[in-house]
Amino acid sequence: MIRRIRTLIVKEFLELRQTPRLFGLLLVAPILQMTLLGYAATTDVEHVPIVIVDGDRSPTSRALVERFAASKNFSIVEEAGSPAAIDDSLAHGRAWLGIVIPHGMGDALMGHGPDSDRVVQVLADGTDSNSSGVALAYVSGLISEFNIGLLIDRGRRPGAVDGRVRVWFNPELESRDFMLPGVLALLLLVVTASLSSMAIVRERELGTLEQLNVTPLGRWELILGKLLPYALVGFVDVFLVLAVVVFWFQVPLRGSVPLLLGASLIYLVCTLGLGLFVSTISSTQQQAMMTSTFFFLMPMVYLSGFIFPIENMPRVIQWVTTLIPLRYFLVIVRGIFLKGVGFQVLWPQFAALAAWGLAVLSLAAFRSHKRA
Amino acid sequence: MRRAWAVTVKELRQIARDRRTLLILLFLPAFFLFLYGYALNFDIRHVSLAVEDRDGSAESRQLIASFVRSTYFDQVASVRSDAEINDLINHGRVRAVLVIPEDFSRRVRDRDVATVQVILNGDDSTTATTVLGYANAVLLEASAEFGAGAETPIIRVEPRVWYNPELRSTLFLIPGLIAFISMITAVVSTALSIVREKEAGTMEQVRMAPISTLAFIAGKTAPYLIISQISGTLVILASMVLFDLPLRGTWLDLSIVLAVFLLGALGTGILVSTAADTQQVALQAAMLVAFLPTFMLSGFIFPVASMPVVLQYITTVVPAKYFLTALRGVVLKGLGLGALWQPIGALAIYAAATLGLSTARLARR
Amino acid sequence: MADAVIRVEHLSRRFGSFQAVDDLSFDVRRGEVFGFLGANGAGKSTTIRMLCGLLKPSGGRAEIAGIDVGRDPEGVKRQIGYMSQRFSLYELLTVDQNITFYGGLYGLAPARLAERRRFVVDMAGLAGRERELALNLSGGWRQRLALGCALLHEPPIIFLDEPTGGVDPVSRRDFWRLIDDLSRGGTTVLVTTHYLDEAERCDRVAIIHAGRLAALGTTSELKARFDDRPIYEIRANDPVGAMTVLDKLPTVEKTSLFGTALHAVVRTSQTTDGDLRRALDDAGLTVTSIGSVVPSLEDVFLDVVDQLASRSAA
Repeated sequence: MIRRIRTLIVKEFLELRQTPRLFGLLLVAPILQMTLLGYAATTDVEHVPIVIVDGDRSPTSRALVERFAASKNFSIVEEAGSPAAIDDSLAHGRAWLGIVIPHGMGDALMGHGPDSDRVVQVLADGTDSNSSGVALAYVSGLISEFNIGLLIDRGRRPGAVDGRVRVWFNPELESRDFMLPGVLALLLLVVTASLSSMAIVRERELGTLEQLNVTPLGRWELILGKLLPYALVGFVDVFLVLAVVVFWFQVPLRGSVPLLLGASLIYLVCTLGLGLFVSTISSTQQQAMMTSTFFFLMPMVYLSGFIFPIENMPRVIQWVTTLIPLRYFLVIVRGIFLKGVGFQVLWPQFAALAAWGLAVLSLAAFRSHKRA
Repeated sequence: MRRAWAVTVKELRQIARDRRTLLILLFLPAFFLFLYGYALNFDIRHVSLAVEDRDGSAESRQLIASFVRSTYFDQVASVRSDAEINDLINHGRVRAVLVIPEDFSRRVRDRDVATVQVILNGDDSTTATTVLGYANAVLLEASAEFGAGAETPIIRVEPRVWYNPELRSTLFLIPGLIAFISMITAVVSTALSIVREKEAGTMEQVRMAPISTLAFIAGKTAPYLIISQISGTLVILASMVLFDLPLRGTWLDLSIVLAVFLLGALGTGILVSTAADTQQVALQAAMLVAFLPTFMLSGFIFPVASMPVVLQYITTVVPAKYFLTALRGVVLKGLGLGALWQPIGALAIYAAATLGLSTARLARR
Repeated sequence: MADAVIRVEHLSRRFGSFQAVDDLSFDVRRGEVFGFLGANGAGKSTTIRMLCGLLKPSGGRAEIAGIDVGRDPEGVKRQIGYMSQRFSLYELLTVDQNITFYGGLYGLAPARLAERRRFVVDMAGLAGRERELALNLSGGWRQRLALGCALLHEPPIIFLDEPTGGVDPVSRRDFWRLIDDLSRGGTTVLVTTHYLDEAERCDRVAIIHAGRLAALGTTSELKARFDDRPIYEIRANDPVGAMTVLDKLPTVEKTSLFGTALHAVVRTSQTTDGDLRRALDDAGLTVTSIGSVVPSLEDVFLDVVDQLASRSAA
């Protein structure tokens, strides 16, 4: 049996050697994607483009505008003369926020004007509600600080409430530290699942599967013979991508590397097994591609907790997400990177992944009928 | 022209025979839109908050109340020690902890700066950033209440949100979902189309016929354009019915924007198909080019403006980015084709480029 | 049959409402070259697949080397070799690598594998080309390699499904020499074909039509159906015209075109070639030659199919 599996593995690698493009894609593409997407994956809202209308032009208002200019959260794209300009900028997406400082604000803040003159209007483009919400919050924060400064300047006790914020695990709220391990997990899923989903179907389409079925090769031998070579390639990918994350992006890895590698291995079994299963339910490579993309990859991207927090999802969907292996691997990967936790904390996720892998491989073996 | 049509008809017949694929291409996208639209949102409501109130005064209770009243936070626990805080955060049971010092009320009454501590669970930085924003907003309000009062006027902020007043993240998400789903559907349907014929050997037969390569490509693309357009329209309709996506522009403008985008998306798939020699390679290449980049570089989740400059240049070749701008423009801002000439132009150039490259590649063989 | 290595009893297979194989029964002797003759879609491939354990029968049973295929398909696989219609070896592997692969699957010990490798390479005439990719071999060479790989483990029985499809006549002839050698060595060969000249080289032929066994026997046994219905070959200037004339004669059962000549099957041996010639002369047609011929398998095949057709019409 071992010999037969070994024969299959050798064959797979020989074939791979003859298709340098595939080989290249399998090794280079993950590194490329990890690098590019690593740079993209930041939810830090910085350089928010804003338009400021300073209707007051007093020293106070100039000081406020200066604050905005100096903040790395904002990037002033236009200082306009009238609020009408904001309409245009927001409509065309040149700016996300428009800030209107009313005429007479300086005086009003000294107590020499109506209350309405101290109201700064912030007009936000709500189409990107996520970023706008955060940007609005930044504006609040900046103005809050400005207010405290005003009060202190006037020799008044501010009597204000000042919040000191401490963030655990990710003090800089460096979203990259959080996102990149997630991108790693996602990348592995996309590459390996799509690869293995074509594996068996291809042989079916070419006719070589029939020849295999006539030999004494067993079902599990076939599954393992397909799984192991791709697992090897996948594992190499793990190293490559991990290297990019740790050395290039310098994301701190606080936990145990062997534990991470072990988890990756189990995860690979899940993703490859998933692809193999898809292979057994598809009659053409086209079908395999569509099935794996639509029914597995896309849902996993959205529902695994990679971007959208699972706790925000409706109860029913949360139950569904318990079926997604990426969900557990994300917890493991983020736990090891950010929190430095070990097996004692993460064992439930390990167990879930192992169970999932076994289940999906069994399904694949079950469906690999040698006889129609 | 007629020959291209012949290719189209053949392709349509082939597609029609594979009923499963046809149904998937037509209806599945709308279904997934429903699923994701229902499941996903960025709105972080009911942030679990724990409070350590070392002061226990009317003022401290007022501060706590303003947190709860904001509807952003839900107080789920009162704690008395650091150990409890550790425990709650480590196990992920709370997202934020408010620690009010003993001298809080005294300082407030003395008109001094009263400092409170807010501890955020940073294991999910996306959430944490938002929670940070919320906390800041609440503190700003609280300042105004406690603080200067009528004596010392300070700046008040009046936010108004356009196009999406309640900042419903659905309105933000849905166009992004539409873009992603449409892109993937289009690429997936065409990426294998030409390679398959290469592998099966039927390509040679077709090339023998006196049909120009351009007409061949056109014929191959047309059926998928029809199917994708129908599918994409169904997706948009589903968004309107299920998620109250408004249509502030016109249907015609919307359809044109969709069509130009799809042409580019299909062109991407076809280009991949001409470059790959086996279907396996085509799939990997399609995933590389279309799947994650569309998700992550289109501005759907991660704002492009926040990316490093180099990457921003790279995003210029992600069609979904322009589609999102144009789609949001028509749907949420009510803009017309004229106002959106930039993104539409970019999409048109992209479509021409991919289809043109495909033709060139195929003709060369 | 005494030393039958293949026993088929009422074998049938249905796909939905389509009956692909219908109540097939026959035996194959050890060392026989047994031919399965039929048009495309007659059910030949389906039958072979069932016998190899690739397809589950809808009804009936089959015994290969004493093992019930329906109940123990895996057990059969060590005893058989199979060569499919389309080339099903690995194009991206070399000749040698393909041999190593199948040797590994069948568990051949290194010494035995080396010996069998030499045999296969020789037999296929691929000496010196072991490192060529299977992709680069032309049709005939591919088929020989495929045959070789099917024989690596020296199975007593091999199944060949249209092994010479798309292969040039010279290669076909060589291929059949290989089959003859195998048969002489004691290997039982069950081969499907739609080439009538190949069928002539089989020990016995089963004619399959519409999933049913229409006729079975040695070539002489099959041709015996024409014992009292001689066949005449006529060459005329206007073959089609001649056909029309002869068809009208009550003594002629049927006519068919064979290349540029005409075969006429007469109903009884009492009708002579002279009778036919006279009929044609009367019609004003020039006859170049006319004479009786030994029936070919093609005549047999057409006759069988015709008889089945008229029987079902009746």
